[in-house]
Amino acid sequence: MKPAPLDHAAPTTVGEAVALLNDPEREAVALAGGQSLMPMLNLRLARPDLLVDLTRVEGLDHIRESAGWIEMGAMATKRAVERSSLVRERQPMWHEATLQIGHPQIRNRGTVGGSMAQADPAAEYPAAAVALGAEVRAVGPSGERTIPATEFFLGYLTTALAPGEILTEVRVPVIPPGRGWAFREVCRRHGDFAMAGTAVTVDLDASGRCTATRIALFGVGPVPARAVEAEKIVDGEAPGEEIFERAGRAAAGAIDEPLADVHASADYRRHLAAVLTGRALAQAATRAGRPEGS
Amino acid sequence: MTVEIPKRIDQLPNPEPRYIGKRVTRREDAALLTGRVEFIDDVALPRMLHAAILRSPFAHARIRSIDTSEAEAMPGVEAVVTGADALRWQRVSGSSPDGWGGRCPAVEKVTFVGEPVAAVAATSRYLAEDALERIEVDYEPLEPVVDPFAAMEEGSPLVMEANGTNVMMHRVFTWGEVDEAFDTAAHVFTERFRWNRVGANPMETFGTVCEWDPVTLEMTVRGAIQSASFMGLGRAATFGLPTNLVNVKANAHGGSFGGKGGGRGIDIAAMLSRKAGGRPVKWIEDRVEYLTSGGSQAWDRHYEAALAVDADGRMTGFRVTLVDDLGANGEGYGSISAAKPLTAFTGPYTIPAAGYDLALVATNKLPSGPYRGMGPPPHFMVLEQLVDIAARALGVDPAELRRRNFIPPEAFPYTIPSGNEYDSGSYEEVLDAALALAGYDDLLRWRDAARADGRLVGVGVATAVEPGVFDWNAYATVGLPQTGVPEGATVSFDIRGCATVRVGFAMEGQGQYTLVSQVVADYFALDIDSVRVIQLDTLAAPPSFGPGGSRLGVAITGAVLGACERLAEKMRTVVAGLMQTTPETIELRGGRFGIPGVPEAQMSLAQVAGTMLARSDLLPPGMDPLPEATYVWTAPDRTPADEMGRAKSYLTAAQAVHVVAVEIDPDTGQVEIVKYALADDCGTRLNPVVVEGQTDGGIAQGIGAALYEQYVYDDEGQPLTASFMDYLIPTIAEVPRSDKAAVVTPSPFTALGAKGCGEGAIHTTPAAVMCAINDALAPLGVRARETPATPERLWRLISGAGVGASGSTGEEREQS
Amino acid sequence: MIGDRRIRVSVNGTAYEVGVEPRTTLVDFLRADLGLTGTHVGCEHGVCGACTVLVDGLAVRSCLMLAVQADGSEITTVEGLEGPEGELHPIQEAFLEEHGLQCGFCTPGFLMATYEMLTDDPKPDEDEIMEVLGGQICRCTGYQGIRRAVDCAIDKLGGTRPADVFGAGGPEGPDAPDAPDADPVGADGAGEGSAR
Repeated sequence: MKPAPLDHAAPTTVGEAVALLNDPEREAVALAGGQSLMPMLNLRLARPDLLVDLTRVEGLDHIRESAGWIEMGAMATKRAVERSSLVRERQPMWHEATLQIGHPQIRNRGTVGGSMAQADPAAEYPAAAVALGAEVRAVGPSGERTIPATEFFLGYLTTALAPGEILTEVRVPVIPPGRGWAFREVCRRHGDFAMAGTAVTVDLDASGRCTATRIALFGVGPVPARAVEAEKIVDGEAPGEEIFERAGRAAAGAIDEPLADVHASADYRRHLAAVLTGRALAQAATRAGRPEGS
Repeated sequence: MTVEIPKRIDQLPNPEPRYIGKRVTRREDAALLTGRVEFIDDVALPRMLHAAILRSPFAHARIRSIDTSEAEAMPGVEAVVTGADALRWQRVSGSSPDGWGGRCPAVEKVTFVGEPVAAVAATSRYLAEDALERIEVDYEPLEPVVDPFAAMEEGSPLVMEANGTNVMMHRVFTWGEVDEAFDTAAHVFTERFRWNRVGANPMETFGTVCEWDPVTLEMTVRGAIQSASFMGLGRAATFGLPTNLVNVKANAHGGSFGGKGGGRGIDIAAMLSRKAGGRPVKWIEDRVEYLTSGGSQAWDRHYEAALAVDADGRMTGFRVTLVDDLGANGEGYGSISAAKPLTAFTGPYTIPAAGYDLALVATNKLPSGPYRGMGPPPHFMVLEQLVDIAARALGVDPAELRRRNFIPPEAFPYTIPSGNEYDSGSYEEVLDAALALAGYDDLLRWRDAARADGRLVGVGVATAVEPGVFDWNAYATVGLPQTGVPEGATVSFDIRGCATVRVGFAMEGQGQYTLVSQVVADYFALDIDSVRVIQLDTLAAPPSFGPGGSRLGVAITGAVLGACERLAEKMRTVVAGLMQTTPETIELRGGRFGIPGVPEAQMSLAQVAGTMLARSDLLPPGMDPLPEATYVWTAPDRTPADEMGRAKSYLTAAQAVHVVAVEIDPDTGQVEIVKYALADDCGTRLNPVVVEGQTDGGIAQGIGAALYEQYVYDDEGQPLTASFMDYLIPTIAEVPRSDKAAVVTPSPFTALGAKGCGEGAIHTTPAAVMCAINDALAPLGVRARETPATPERLWRLISGAGVGASGSTGEEREQS
Repeated sequence: MIGDRRIRVSVNGTAYEVGVEPRTTLVDFLRADLGLTGTHVGCEHGVCGACTVLVDGLAVRSCLMLAVQADGSEITTVEGLEGPEGELHPIQEAFLEEHGLQCGFCTPGFLMATYEMLTDDPKPDEDEIMEVLGGQICRCTGYQGIRRAVDCAIDKLGGTRPADVFGAGGPEGPDAPDAPDADPVGADGAGEGSAR
């Protein structure tokens, strides 16, 4: 279990990194925190000629608020996010999602951008990003662009990043006062990838009915996706166990190709997704309307 | 000279023992805690090469050809071996049932995914792995057989064509009037069970550094080796070498639990070394290799079992039909695992008759090997589930039904129907202690109240006997030789009266070097820091098997005390000579030799040892001057197996009762253990802190087997659990705190009354957890029959979405 | 073959400048190139935690990092815990006294994870302990001795930072959560800074 021969470059600017990634002579791969890529390298399941290590690129590890968005540099570690009082207070779902990722020893190196670019279907950040309406900033040879999270995840371990493009920032809207949220997952052991998970936000209108509901499932389908039909079931209704359970079943039922592995069959994942979504909607609705939003 | 080994602590020649039976901090730990202990991967020898192994991607395929030329031409590559070398140098493995052994790397055919096909030695592991990618193997894939029932059918693909069948062995054992017991029973409870493959997974994988000199043919084997002498004998047999050409230097190793395997890795490293002119070759198994191709996988079992119970709730008969899927060739002593239950077949109960229908079946999966407990943990899971089924049907409290059937204290030594003899026990006392510690009545009230609220909660009580002190006589049933298992020690004093003890086994985690120090220090009334334990290579060490089968604590205590007795006798002779009296008048007491009641006629250890070493002219004529003695201990009074496999084999029988409470999330099937309490009796507890540590570790492994761990194969024989993301070992978050109580019923047969205690918890925990789960499920009228009880399996049971145990459609059948 | 890169690292307070092949993992570098074999390899895919070391004060998997990535870093391994006279660190003493190890193979990883945890928070609660030590696998102890050892280490340290036990010069832990450069965001939530 040793990596195949590879070269390593540690650029200090985004421009250099993009240039290295676009070396026509060599197959280059960006290395962020390495917590997913390094096992692949050790197993020789990934064998690039060149690792473009983003660790030393300047300006990629910020965590800040700007105009209603929490902006996190791609190389901000999950541990830094976890410890950020800004994220905890202004985007508590993102904070909660962070705590579900592995263990501190993994979060110490794993990065926000790495998790998004890896696009593991059972990962927490992609689902939170989809539910929260996050955006991804990427820089490539032809400049910078912004991609909505809902358009970023294309398939199993596949994103909208073009070859040679680097994810530089993830921007997540702050949770506005009064919006309820919940982030739940079921794992075999704490810290494992989820067999199913759900990220939910719910607003309550003046009459106490649900509105602007957003539901994103993970660990079930090949990509985290919004459960639009289920959202419609909830919106306009008063919070209630029956409606949330129905929405949960709808959300889970809408997944085309549920994943299956040694831990959970497709049926079971779908079932968990339904249960979790129902529970999460209830939790989010309970939180909705509270001034602290938590 | 007969040696009387003290059977009780108060028989030691020391009125104030300071260490035995006390909570002694381990002497091994300071070096371990500071990174000083040399594990095998830490070994670096001059000119050492590093090996990597090319493994089969197919479960079943013929090897048409192998081209290693490109790999051999790579810079840094010093040797390559294939099956052709194995054919030249190796004999077939002796660790399989007769006729099923193979060679390694594979010759002509591969029979499981991960079977070695070739190997490379290069100047670094990185380069060796690069070179593997340049080896071309042309395979002709064959149809694999993965399911043991399919493997038993006519026309199945054959794992070894020459044998004409995939059934390695089929035996039917009958002990007592079992047919009559079932015919006349008031109640018969029948159920099927599935225990899926689990395995040891010590945190250190196997590793070795081998030197095999092509000129002298001397072989030096270093490694993470559980039984150094046994491994050495095995390698000599494999390569047809005189046994004294193979010297094994076992390193301290990072756990084993029987699952270190390694013989085949040594064979490969040795052949690479021989081809590289005798240069040392290191091979470190990586974790993926360990999980898919290592020595770890054990107990892939399909059970059908029945319990006969009379009108008073007395168990009168127990029948087990076991189809044990041993994988490709039974290599690595997997067959032992099916035979060991004979040593405790009927558990702690007075069941008078039993039957065992045992089929060992070959499939295209990794050969099944040993794992802690060596077979009884699934067996007790089966027995204890049946006892609970009976209790539920009869409306008797499960603890009470067990109590009613316990072997009573006055019945020991007690011979069970399958032939083994239990030394001693106080089973009811252990049960009472466990129930009291758990607050059993309160737990039941809690359960009933929660159940009334619609929650799925359950309480499980399970008990098991732990056969201790491994003995080969138990394994004649599966064709292995009937011999004793020796453990030796040499105790010596230097001129200052400091003791050195030489043993033949490496540190593995059970604190045996501390135990040896405790025993010698208390025998001679020394400070424990005056005792040093040294491990010798196999060619220098006293006979030793090392750890395994809950034996080493008992065995090494016997060996060390035997050596102490002999040494004391020798020193008494010296002192008698110096004091011009007879040895019988000299007493060793509190670390001094002398004539009792005569204060001026006393000598210290240092004085006696110093005289022996420095003034041999003063010793009785012809006397060996070395203050040193060796004793080789074997279990006394063992008998070979008869035609029904009955033998007095394992020397001790510890017993435990575990009480577990669980809550199951009805929507997700997840199990939370909310209470864990136990009592056990393993005789005299030589170092209670170590005994408790063994129990704690066994509980965690038992929880793993009951809830998390399973080696999974697909229909093509591809292993799907090739990483620690897939094979789930419990972490601290999955293992609850446990409360423990001890009952002490000394063994009448062993040194100081100790019993084997390394495997008790894993015998009991899976049964207890499954009992608790099934108690929780009882109101739903469903039962979990398959381990591990994963969330999905439980959810399926709870939701009625399907049967829980694949391959199990068994139903309870009650006759009345 | 790709040529060696020169890297500079400080390991347990000793500075090294060494050539290393880019693909070499940090754990292989520490063990094979520097001879610091106290850090153990358990799985090489980041799950078991046996190889956990501190890199700039943070507990990380040294199997999931290339040695070249450690260029310029301060690394602490188990060999760096003991005092100048070979005294055991209080965390090590606690594991010894409470039977927090059996085979000892996973132990260096547990020690390093505990070290970071107690640097971060001298009085972690049960949940924090589960969260951190849940990232380390032990197959021998069933974790009961480890639980006791961590409780004992908390008592022994009595609030002293693990790095300060033997006076100055111990490995620095990660910055406390409220340190300016760890959470750069000011109360107004508009600051900017480094993640480390």
